[in-house]
Amino acid sequence: MKKFLLCALCAVFLLLTACRALDVIGNDSVTSFAEVLDALPAAGAGNTWVLSAPDGAAAFIWSGDFSRTDVYDAWLELDAAPFAAAGLDPTRLPAGMAQGGRLVTGASLGAQAPAPEVSESPVLSYEQIVSQQRARIGHHTAMDHFGVDLGGGFMFEWARDMAANDKDIVFVLNPEPFRQAGADVSAIEGWTLAMVETMDEAGRPIEVEKLLKPFDIG
Amino acid sequence: MDNQILSIGGMTCAACAGRIERVVGKLPGVRRAAVNLASEKLFVEYDEASLPLTAIKEAVVKIGYEVLEKPPGGAVTIPVEGMTCAACAGRIEKALRRLDGVLEASVNLATEKAFVTYDPKRVRVSALRAAIEKLGYRAREVDQADAAEEDRRRKQREIRALWTRFVIAAVFSLPLLYIAMAPMITWVRLPFPASLAPMRFPLAYALAELILVVPVIVVGYRFYAVGFKALWQRSPNMDSLIAVGTSAAFLYSLYNMWRIPQGSYHAVDALYFETAGVIITLILLGKSLEAVSKGRTSEAIKKLMGLAPKTAVVLRDGVETEIPIDEVEIGDILLVRPGAKIPVDGTVREGHTAVDESMLTGESMPVDKQAGDEVYAATLNTNGVVQVMATRVGGDTALARIIKLVEDAQGSKAPIAQLADLVSGYFVPIVCAIALVSGVAWYIGTGDVSFSLTIFISVLVIACPCALGLATPTAIMVGTGKGAENGILIKGGEALETAHKVDTIVFDKTGTVTEGKPTVTDVLPAGALSKEALWRLTASAEQGSEHPLGQAIVYGARAEGLTLSPAERFTALIGRGVEAVIDGVAVLVGNAALMEERGVALSQAGSDRLAEEGKTPMYVACDGQLAGIVAVADVVKPSSRAAIESLHRMGIEVAMITGDNRRTAAAIARQIGIDRVLSEVLPQDKSSEIQKLQREGKRVAMVGDGINDAPALVQADIGIAIGSGTDVAMESADIVLMRSDLMDVPTAIRLSRRTIRNIKQNLFWAFGYNTVGIPVAAGVLYLLGGPLLSPIFAAAAMSLSSVSVLTNALRLKRFRADREEVSAA
Repeated sequence: MKKFLLCALCAVFLLLTACRALDVIGNDSVTSFAEVLDALPAAGAGNTWVLSAPDGAAAFIWSGDFSRTDVYDAWLELDAAPFAAAGLDPTRLPAGMAQGGRLVTGASLGAQAPAPEVSESPVLSYEQIVSQQRARIGHHTAMDHFGVDLGGGFMFEWARDMAANDKDIVFVLNPEPFRQAGADVSAIEGWTLAMVETMDEAGRPIEVEKLLKPFDIG
Repeated sequence: MDNQILSIGGMTCAACAGRIERVVGKLPGVRRAAVNLASEKLFVEYDEASLPLTAIKEAVVKIGYEVLEKPPGGAVTIPVEGMTCAACAGRIEKALRRLDGVLEASVNLATEKAFVTYDPKRVRVSALRAAIEKLGYRAREVDQADAAEEDRRRKQREIRALWTRFVIAAVFSLPLLYIAMAPMITWVRLPFPASLAPMRFPLAYALAELILVVPVIVVGYRFYAVGFKALWQRSPNMDSLIAVGTSAAFLYSLYNMWRIPQGSYHAVDALYFETAGVIITLILLGKSLEAVSKGRTSEAIKKLMGLAPKTAVVLRDGVETEIPIDEVEIGDILLVRPGAKIPVDGTVREGHTAVDESMLTGESMPVDKQAGDEVYAATLNTNGVVQVMATRVGGDTALARIIKLVEDAQGSKAPIAQLADLVSGYFVPIVCAIALVSGVAWYIGTGDVSFSLTIFISVLVIACPCALGLATPTAIMVGTGKGAENGILIKGGEALETAHKVDTIVFDKTGTVTEGKPTVTDVLPAGALSKEALWRLTASAEQGSEHPLGQAIVYGARAEGLTLSPAERFTALIGRGVEAVIDGVAVLVGNAALMEERGVALSQAGSDRLAEEGKTPMYVACDGQLAGIVAVADVVKPSSRAAIESLHRMGIEVAMITGDNRRTAAAIARQIGIDRVLSEVLPQDKSSEIQKLQREGKRVAMVGDGINDAPALVQADIGIAIGSGTDVAMESADIVLMRSDLMDVPTAIRLSRRTIRNIKQNLFWAFGYNTVGIPVAAGVLYLLGGPLLSPIFAAAAMSLSSVSVLTNALRLKRFRADREEVSAA
């Protein structure tokens, strides 16, 4: 019986740790992200890539080189004007979030330098995030979206299948910092306040309030 | 026609039992086939000329069950001393196997025992022991591995195997259940490995569940092997329900797991691996508890079997030799020392002792035994050394016959069981249909495959009829076993059931209500003689008499220490009395007619009173003058009055049947509170008197002890033979009381009532579980806004149903013969 148990547990361990092919969400997210970039090419700036919303009011920016000295390795940059119009007092935002006419929030993903070819490709740079920070990549079942969790309730999401989805990319904000800073989060132009089903750190489904800016680019 | 009892393995529910009964019953040459699920025995009555036993066994095996064979030849366990390592054990095994006639030998170093199966015709146990001793080890006294021991070992192996399977299943099911449930519990933050988060790593999550469920399915393979086979043969049983339910859950989960890499990540929400795993685990737990409880239901028979001594000391040419009990033959002279058990039934040849027969009769007072008295196997010799000549050995001893009787009773079915049999025969197919219809209906209504599958599985799993199959036999086993422990042998389930309906009990008078031996009750001098002198004279005159009344007077006088004088010119006056000359006095002893004939004047006052009291007055005249009256009567047993009062409290009418005249019978009846007297009934008319009572609509039990009671015992709804009775009476009876204590009659009725009440409770619970469980599982409550039963809770409820029925049956073990309960008829 002991042998039986040992073998079974070994099998579980091996399968769960060694088999990367099991990460269907991670792998599929890379494929679909590449499709998004085909439809809406990212602008390159050194080893950093910028995916701007068609209206120019928001951008998702990422890098595969986590050893850079920038504050964030993946982040969102938003046009501050609609927020200010909704009553936002930038001084009441968390430190570093308000940068002139922009609002910036994101995640630092470590200090590891990538292989040289990674920095040359936006997809490889994203894949670097998947391999190094897999916990930040998720799938939003209700929308059939993949997403990068940028921390603090901020995300960037894109459709797994753009042909079957009318929200191909979505900028997702946590309304709470803006509410705290005096903005009427239900009245920010270009942004929709909605309850969204997402998941907690353990992957458990939860419902939270979000500010959304979706685009159909396909 | 031959009767055989086969031990069957692999049965799980009433449907299995019914299936075996049907298949075996259909074999040409089989007259009757009955399966007891609780004792796992098949009782088959068949024509051995047209149908070999092997054909019956093959038929059982063919439908997926095992026929458990006893090891060929004899089996013996020899405790061995002096072994130090595995090599010692190996040496002994080799030496034993080399002996001609040894079929198998294995030595357990840990328990220091050698288990040997052998052909008793070719090798003796003494040779086995000698072979061990020759190697330098000490072979201690042999434990004969009899059928009970083998059965016990088999059951223990079965329980161990079930527990092992359950433990393995639980080890995998618990983490499986945890990883399946933890992500769903949103109100508590349970620790959960991020690498298995179902929304991020759905395939890894599904694979982890698959890996955890496979071992559970492997250990539960029997459900699939037997269940699908039964389904294929269109005779589904409990295993079929489990197999179909869990297979549906497993296959649907496997399909959804396949969908995950196709991009349907949300299919991770439709995995039911944990349902399959936990159902199997819970069923294994239920089966394990059931096996333990089932073992306890047959403890009474094991106790009886355990009474038999293993060895006997035989005297051959004046030499004492200890031999295994199986080697004792009729005619052997056995030496039984104080504190030892009588090895076999026999007759005391030499010596005097007191024997404790409580293990057979329940009678706590030791019985004096001297040369010529019968002694019984397993009874305890308390003080003297006696030599006993074996008269009945092996299966013919009283103990063996009692064991057989109890075994047969435990294997029999009560009429109340027919309902359970009937229902369980149709139950599984109907449940399959309900599950299918419910599942399809919910699918049509909701379009949700997962939901309808949950309904389908829940209905299949909760509806297992195993509790139904156990409801009756377990109670009968415990009830009849408890009876045997109290010296009440109930011959079958039918007797047990009928006994609880009895509203009238007819007692035979002589030997049942009374001691059956006349004794002197009154000595009334009429003249100058003292009481002792009158009794001495009368007894002296009766010395030559063969009449029971005369013998009672002589026996009584001697018991009183009176010295009798020789009788001269003794004459027996048939039908009237005796006359003789005692110490020169002409003594006449007899009835009133004799006295009138000889012109002796009688005083009626005393004799009338005696007759009113049911006593027989014997007039005594000395030299033609009335000297007094000696009254003789068959005295009432001390327990008779209490027994009848107890029966009255139970609402039972008590009658007495006797050949005595109305006056005598009425006198006895008054003494002990009998409601109805059937007097002056000739022996051959006793059964027609019972019939008359039955025609009045009464359920009649007849209690008797003599050969002449046998027809009445058969005619009565329940025949109760008391222990001091004859073999014929015992054969004719439905219930045999080992003691002569009439208190055992109300005890037997109480036991019957308790057992039937227990069976009804069991059936209520078994039916209740299913009648409530099935609609709940089918989603009726959910339809009305109530909760939905998860398949896991359905499995737990199902397991609980069997365990609760068994636990309820085991409550009967608390029955106390000496504790009366007042209950209505």
